[in-house]
Amino acid sequence: MPTMTYTPLATVTLASTASSVTFSSIPATYRDLILVVNASSSIQTELFLRLNSDTGSNYNTVRMQGNGSITGSASTANATGARLNGNGDIMTTLSFNALIQFLDYSATDKHKSGLSRTNSANGVDACAFRWANTNAVSTVLAYPATGTFSSGSTFNLFGVIS
Amino acid sequence: MKLIQTVNATGSSATLEFTSIPQTYTDLVVKISVRQSSNNGNPYTPITFALNSSATNKTSRYLLGEGTGVSSTNYTEFYAWTPSSLATANTFSSIELYLPNYTGSTNKSISLDGATENNATANLLAIGAALWSNTAAVTSVSFTTTAGNFVTGSTASLYGVLKGTDGIVTTSP
Repeated sequence: MPTMTYTPLATVTLASTASSVTFSSIPATYRDLILVVNASSSIQTELFLRLNSDTGSNYNTVRMQGNGSITGSASTANATGARLNGNGDIMTTLSFNALIQFLDYSATDKHKSGLSRTNSANGVDACAFRWANTNAVSTVLAYPATGTFSSGSTFNLFGVIS
Repeated sequence: MKLIQTVNATGSSATLEFTSIPQTYTDLVVKISVRQSSNNGNPYTPITFALNSSATNKTSRYLLGEGTGVSSTNYTEFYAWTPSSLATANTFSSIELYLPNYTGSTNKSISLDGATENNATANLLAIGAALWSNTAAVTSVSFTTTAGNFVTGSTASLYGVLKGTDGIVTTSP
């Protein structure tokens, strides 16, 4: 019998609109975390993350994107949240998904980095992000740049054991 | 993530397919390693994929790196790319699809990451967003060549991902 390699940790299915979704008290017993988002929003917007409720200017990202005709790459330094995708990729109809990896999230000797792939009918993106903090990640906050996540959006967190 | 099924090509078929997919998981992951027996004049050649054998309501967008440049394009078909008979022998593509909420009653969005292999500069790295505008639950996933058959050694594995709680992590809202 195959062994489960993703351990389910928590799940959120929004029963109403929400300005953010938070996973707290994440145990430090896994190697990596995976967050899977399938969402829509009240207006077209972008997905951001914050870790351990840190609202400081400690998030750095670099990403590449394509919208079906135009390619681009952008980076952000010392931001107050990690932006994962291009303009307006979370749409008002449910077509957006995000696969986000938090690598070695429980280590205390390194800044925390991660990789994301986001997809929608508006564009496709790959992003690398870094949180300039050596604390273990115990809280993950996902939020739209503007507006709210729509009812029915899902957020599933998994742990991956090394 | 739990292995549901693996299918292997025999060299005589243009299709690899998973049918009667159990509806007991939250998400699906498909990992394939494939190569096509013929070519369309290019070392990397597209294959198509479909949910529930549907040829309609398919849109996709890709970001493509081709060794010498990058481009973005969109289609009304779902594509991935594999080495063809013009590519270095014994090279296969590595492709992963992620299908969240495949049993849900909303349109189905798919994430694709894939790379062809070739001992030359003609190569392709693709990331893609595919949307099947259909609210039916996904019961089958199929891949079809556009140039010959899948060669022997081509393989596809289907995994199920189950959501849940560990009783420790808390959520809001």
